[in-house]
Amino acid sequence: MNFLSKEPLVQVKGLKTHFFTEEGVVKAVDGVDFEINPGETLGVVGESGCGKSVTSLSIMGLVESPPGKIVEGEINFQGTDLTKLSQKEMRKIRGNDISMIFQEPMTSLNPVYTIGNQISEAIMLHKKVNKEEAKRQSIEMLEKVGIPLPEQRVNEYPHQLSGGMRQRVMIAMSLSCDPQLLIADEPTTALDVTIQAQILELMNDLKESYGMAIMMITHDLGVIAEVSDRVAVMYAGKVVEYTDVETLFKDPEHPYTWGLMNSIPKLDQTVERLEAIPGSVPSPLNFPSGCKYNNRCPLATDKCREIEPELETISEGHQVRCWHYKELERLKNERAETAKIK
Amino acid sequence: MINYILRRLLILPFILFGVTILIFSMIMMLGPYQRLSTYIEDPSQLKGGDVDQLITKYGLDDPWYEQYGRWVSGVLQGDLGWSESAGQPVTEAIASRFPATFELAIFAVIPVVMGGIWLGVLSAVHHNDKLDHTIRIFSTIGWSFPTFVFGLLVLMVFYGILGWFPPGRLDNWALTVVMSDGFTEYTGMHVLDGILNGNFDIVVNSFRHLIGPIFTLAIVWWSFILRITRSSMLETLSKDYIRTARAKGVSENVVINKHARRNALIPVVTVAGPMVLGLLGGVVITETVFGYRGLGQYAAQAAAQLDYSGILGVAMYFSFLLILINLLVDVSYAVIDPRIRLE
Ligand SMILES: Nc1ncnc2c1ncn2[C@@H]1O[C@H](COP(=O)(O)OP(=O)(O)O)[C@@H](O)[C@H]1O
Ligand code: SF4
Ligand SMILES: [Mg+2]
Repeated sequence: MNFLSKEPLVQVKGLKTHFFTEEGVVKAVDGVDFEINPGETLGVVGESGCGKSVTSLSIMGLVESPPGKIVEGEINFQGTDLTKLSQKEMRKIRGNDISMIFQEPMTSLNPVYTIGNQISEAIMLHKKVNKEEAKRQSIEMLEKVGIPLPEQRVNEYPHQLSGGMRQRVMIAMSLSCDPQLLIADEPTTALDVTIQAQILELMNDLKESYGMAIMMITHDLGVIAEVSDRVAVMYAGKVVEYTDVETLFKDPEHPYTWGLMNSIPKLDQTVERLEAIPGSVPSPLNFPSGCKYNNRCPLATDKCREIEPELETISEGHQVRCWHYKELERLKNERAETAKIK
Repeated sequence: MINYILRRLLILPFILFGVTILIFSMIMMLGPYQRLSTYIEDPSQLKGGDVDQLITKYGLDDPWYEQYGRWVSGVLQGDLGWSESAGQPVTEAIASRFPATFELAIFAVIPVVMGGIWLGVLSAVHHNDKLDHTIRIFSTIGWSFPTFVFGLLVLMVFYGILGWFPPGRLDNWALTVVMSDGFTEYTGMHVLDGILNGNFDIVVNSFRHLIGPIFTLAIVWWSFILRITRSSMLETLSKDYIRTARAKGVSENVVINKHARRNALIPVVTVAGPMVLGLLGGVVITETVFGYRGLGQYAAQAAAQLDYSGILGVAMYFSFLLILINLLVDVSYAVIDPRIRLE
């Protein structure tokens, strides 16, 4: 797929979002770059704690402040740098041009207001319509996200709906003002597998009909494979690999991406061969010097421990942050050999 | 909703039965001679007459359930016996003092609840700011003083030193006006009666007497409500649905006043029951300190003079009041929280 011809919808450049806490500065996001084209789905993947949610909240202007602050970088959205906007200006964009759904459908809706009230609120905030029209549109949205008996559901409260249904309501709400970008922060993580598949399918369908771009945040490569066009792999507050989804799965170039791939079961592999990446994610309070992956990387050298690599373009549309990505080939071959012997 | 209220009303008789049993068993703990006072209608009956004869007359030697039946039917007819300390039947003593306490309660509870919630929300929204610290310091002070100490302090400063807010319910001249034929006591609440009679001197005067007790009750209970509201509001503001509201583009004002406050009030309503109980205790103390002739003062006086019928009468009255208030609390619970309403 070629996205280069289009002007990007969102362009995140050198974003740094830090939290100034009593224990020290938490560098949750520490230099993130990516872009999302109109109508494109960007998958953002990485282990928990690598800064995915903070990145998305930074785009929304919803980083809790204090202690959080965007200390550097730009977030260009349709020609404006969102980091420069006031809260008042951001409010016009939130829920309207950019909307967001979250991980926990069980707690993401206000328990004391009806579904209809909560969807209508978003509609009335951004469109010039009266209450009746907003309610009519809410019912329409509920129908679009596949909620049965929408006329009845619209008057119900969140606790009367299942988790999957609540996530559908969240999706209905987030799409009610026709956003250009939908940020979905682990939208299926809290749901069980069948519901998970249904929600992903729904999102894919709605993307077709609405044509919005999606930023799909997940720690699950399976979800990435299902929905993404391009993928940004994050580690310790930075993007470490950035490419289209086919290349990522066929030819991962960063040792971390490769490690993640090995930790998901594949159809042609027996499950015992599944291995998690050894070691643990370094604390953002105390990152190692040099490449932040050096304590877990099988290819780490002294250079890695001293100097941090930049995100480097290794072929068109494929960027990797690693000194020794070329040597990964050797590891891949070794592994293929041992797999054969066994 | 209606179902919910009906269910609450249906258990009401059982609660009332429980309360009467409790009060009656307290009566039964007294000896027959002391118990007599809760039955007679006039103290002259005791004078010279044969007390044993009276005991037989009122059946105080009968089995307890027969006595209970008779006592309850008396209570139902508004007969709570003769109050030694008030020098009048208990029912009349309560009726004559109720408007005073009701007036005090209305003037105290409304600012306490409204103000406490307002301050608590303010404190949470500005948490760790100067404003929050100031509010919390005052609430800590308010909460660490016992009511009677605070009442005495208010009395000392605002009456003793400044002479602004005298104790009692009215000055003597005002009392004369209220008692005179030209003044109709519609409700027994002087502020309201003053307005209804078009006599604003009375309104002002009774208000001056009310301020001390109101202030005393308010300080203590403000602190209580604002603490609970503050912590519950802080917790609510960190909830996922608040983030959802912000993600919709809702303004911070609406986030606080629509999305957070209603949820934050749920735990506040939960403590409203025990709070009212504490408030009643506070009323007894405050009325006593300020010589304010209301139910609380009557209760204290009856207790001090071992006026059994008076004590039991007030206890019963307060119990009914509490049941009523708890019913109100339950209903407001359901109004706020659909999960309760629809369960
Ligand atoms: N409000 C906050 N205060 C301090 N640290 C925070 C805060 N929010 C997030 N962090 C830290 O930022 C890092 C990244 O968090 P997050 O973006 O939520 O990770 P994830 O990739 O799992 O979504 C974590 O180490 C987390 O502890
Ligand atoms: S730079 Fe070095 S430590 Fe970092 S991923 Fe590459 S090889 Fe591993
Ligand atoms: Mg997250």
